[in-house]
Amino acid sequence: MGERTDLVKTESNVPERSREIPAVAPVVDIYENEDEILLHVDMPGVEKEDITVNIDNGKLSLAGVRHISGEGAVLWEELADVEYQRSFSVPQTIDVDKVNAEMHNGVLHLHLPKSEAAKPRQIEIKGG
Amino acid sequence: MLMRISDVDRMFNAMDLLQSRMNRMSSDFGRFRTAVPGAGPYSGPAANLYDAGGHLEMKMELPGIDKENLSIKIQGNYLEVSGKQESDKPEGYTPHRVERGLSSFTRSFTLPTDVDSSKVEAQLANGLLSIILPKSEAAQPKQITIN
Repeated sequence: MGERTDLVKTESNVPERSREIPAVAPVVDIYENEDEILLHVDMPGVEKEDITVNIDNGKLSLAGVRHISGEGAVLWEELADVEYQRSFSVPQTIDVDKVNAEMHNGVLHLHLPKSEAAKPRQIEIKGG
Repeated sequence: MLMRISDVDRMFNAMDLLQSRMNRMSSDFGRFRTAVPGAGPYSGPAANLYDAGGHLEMKMELPGIDKENLSIKIQGNYLEVSGKQESDKPEGYTPHRVERGLSSFTRSFTLPTDVDSSKVEAQLANGLLSIILPKSEAAQPKQITIN
């Protein structure tokens, strides 16, 4: 009797390692004034090159990956590599071309300027 | 019914596969959570500690804290990091949602070895503090030669 051969060989003693970075929603402060909506997003450890801000059809999505590189043996670990992800609905009155962002001490400051049409306007009453 | 050993083996393989799929599914449950600072088992900002032979390295997440508002104290194997978060609420804005807390914190650690406090270096970048703590002379790893 011929020995049966598997079509697909699996190495059962090599554990499958999926290095999946956990997704975390960052904490956010949202402010608004007459000219813009301002978001402060805590993203400690994320380089500014690793942040993506996407505005599409009234949906704002933020994402940023952080990699913590410590050398040596881990004695304790509470911080891990994470991917910050969060999305918001934004009003259509945001002027997408003028959106700007800066990073300050691990906090993302995202400015969403309102379009001219959406700004409150003082109507002057003409005397007659 | 006659079964060959290889058939039994294959059956178990299939069950293992099913189990690993199930495990992966349940691990997705915890995938989404909010990053609330200080929500861990310890109060204060989350930190990592590494031992790199000649020195220890600590990483701590401190978003929105200026280095002027941070103080680090070391004595022997005792390390204390304290700081104060200043409000970055902009003037003239109406807050819609405030999740980021304002707090002053102190977190202290007992390090596994004594450190040479005169050679400690700390750096704050992108809201992540890293402290390099060289071990004291007595705690340095030594090469033993065999006669």
